[in-house]
Amino acid sequence: MPPVIDPEKCTHCGKCVEICSEDVFYGSKSGEIPTVTYPRECSHFSGCVSVCPTQAITLRIPLPMLLVYKPAAEELQKPVWAKPTTHGPEI
Amino acid sequence: MKEEIIKTDVLCVGGGIAGLMAAIRAAELGVSVVVAEKGNPLYSGCGRMGNDHFETWIPEVHGEDRDAWIGELLRTAKGEILISKDILRAQFMKAYDIVRLWDGYGIPMKSKGRWEFGGHTFPGRPFTHIKYEGRFQKKILVKQARDRGAQIMSRIMVFDLLHANGTVIGAIGADTREDKVYIFQAKAVLLGTGKCSRLYPSLTPGWMFNDPHGNVQSGDGRAMALRAGAELQNLEMPQRHIGPKYFAKFGQATWVGVVRDWHGKPAGTFADKPDRRYGDMICEVNKLAPEQYTKAGKGPLYMDCTGISEEDLQYMLHWFVHEGNSSLLDHMQAEGIDLRRHPIEFTTYPLRGGGLIAANAKTETTIRGLYAAGDEAYGDISAAATFGYIGGENAAVYAATVAETDIQGRRTFIDEKKGLLDRLRGRSNGPDWEETQTALQQTMLDYAGHVRNETLLLQGWHHLHRIREKAGATLMARNPHELGRCLEVLNLLDLAEMTFIMALDRKETRGLHVRPDYPFTNPMLNQAHVISRQDGKPLLQWRPY
Repeated sequence: MPPVIDPEKCTHCGKCVEICSEDVFYGSKSGEIPTVTYPRECSHFSGCVSVCPTQAITLRIPLPMLLVYKPAAEELQKPVWAKPTTHGPEI
Repeated sequence: MKEEIIKTDVLCVGGGIAGLMAAIRAAELGVSVVVAEKGNPLYSGCGRMGNDHFETWIPEVHGEDRDAWIGELLRTAKGEILISKDILRAQFMKAYDIVRLWDGYGIPMKSKGRWEFGGHTFPGRPFTHIKYEGRFQKKILVKQARDRGAQIMSRIMVFDLLHANGTVIGAIGADTREDKVYIFQAKAVLLGTGKCSRLYPSLTPGWMFNDPHGNVQSGDGRAMALRAGAELQNLEMPQRHIGPKYFAKFGQATWVGVVRDWHGKPAGTFADKPDRRYGDMICEVNKLAPEQYTKAGKGPLYMDCTGISEEDLQYMLHWFVHEGNSSLLDHMQAEGIDLRRHPIEFTTYPLRGGGLIAANAKTETTIRGLYAAGDEAYGDISAAATFGYIGGENAAVYAATVAETDIQGRRTFIDEKKGLLDRLRGRSNGPDWEETQTALQQTMLDYAGHVRNETLLLQGWHHLHRIREKAGATLMARNPHELGRCLEVLNLLDLAEMTFIMALDRKETRGLHVRPDYPFTNPMLNQAHVISRQDGKPLLQWRPY
């Protein structure tokens, strides 16, 4: 769930906890790796990502938010998009 | 619950563009200023991660005849506006000064030494919006406010105004990190809490924060102004926006592409190839186009940047960052989405609460000492910056002329509000904010949504009233963070009820207020629809803009 903190890179500086207006890190303890307490309140503007001095944070974009795009013409040629064989009456 | 009293001449509620500009101007006029923000002003409001368009007249580009430029704007780019033209004129008498101020603060308003224009303009018509590098605007404005002596307080959810004899004397706020209440004694209060974006369900059902506003904007200023007796305007006129599906973000004018269907046919007549100067104005003219295409069996619609030159692509990506859309770029990169090859589906975003606090061109509301600016009163970045500045100046001048009023005279009211906070924090087993919000949103969508009529509105109002009563008696907050969210929901419930009352009273169809029982637009109602609460009862009026 967004944001995801890499414990190896996190220096426990707390900058992400302070910047977040939604306060998804509410309840995080000073000097520890922040806790993502309210992930569903994330607005995905990357404020935490931008202030992290060690690039320890990435946003995991939730599945309902996946950007919808039209596949390029050659991508539609892939076998997965081939029309299925239909057995039935000719109309 | 702990209590702290803070005395100041001017209190700015909300640390967005308007609140910070008000703080800057009031503080430089020598009065004491506090900015109270429920999040962190370094990263709050619609301008939190930046903006790249600023609407303004520029004399060396547009010529000295400012009125001609304003006239052009009203005839073309603005469409139907639901505010006084005096307010628009006041904005553009000042906006150019604000542009120069911002440039002096260190927000780059020029590109490579010259004014750069783009977007929000019909091909061939005079440009209206300069492009500017707003990525760090919040950080810069916070510093400017602090440098002038303004005190910035984060994590304080101001939720009610203190007033006596038709004059504002302060406000009450709850700390969202610890159980503590702040009582502000202020000679003037400027409300700049933004839009009312959480009245209706979001793009993703049940996922309330997938919204281009970020969705912490819950109409707090409108609700507290209403409870204090101020006038609100046109709450029943909802708004909808357009943008990428399902990654809800603003900035349609930053895209350099053409809105096309699957087969590549343009939806509008304003663009047939990507043009960095104009984008595709169909996004401005008809934000409902994607929904209409889908309903007509012609969907989906795409923002199609294929065919864009490499230079224009880099131009667009540069401005995406300043518009605050770096997370969108990161997502496209992670997913292998290439704008040169992949058209992005655009959608019409869901209904959002409309209306504003009735304020004049000086940002004065109908309560003495209470001002409103930004999306609260009349929005976009240019208007927020300009009217924030104007409001800060007027609030400071006013505050310098009045004596402070001891808020202890309102101790009974303060104790009632502290009692509300204690009850919310003390309950268990009741609905939390999210459950209550879900009930509110489904009621708004079903009964004051896309189509409205008298019986539907009456039924919805009745049902909403039940939710409001139950929430008042049982809503619970597990911690100070959830307390802030509960106060937001209570504000939204108040605004929802007023929306029903105003929608019932607007007996016509206009814009997104669709009443099949009154199917025509009534020219006699080309006026501001105003509501206030007098002696606990709603009072409705129609008044010329």
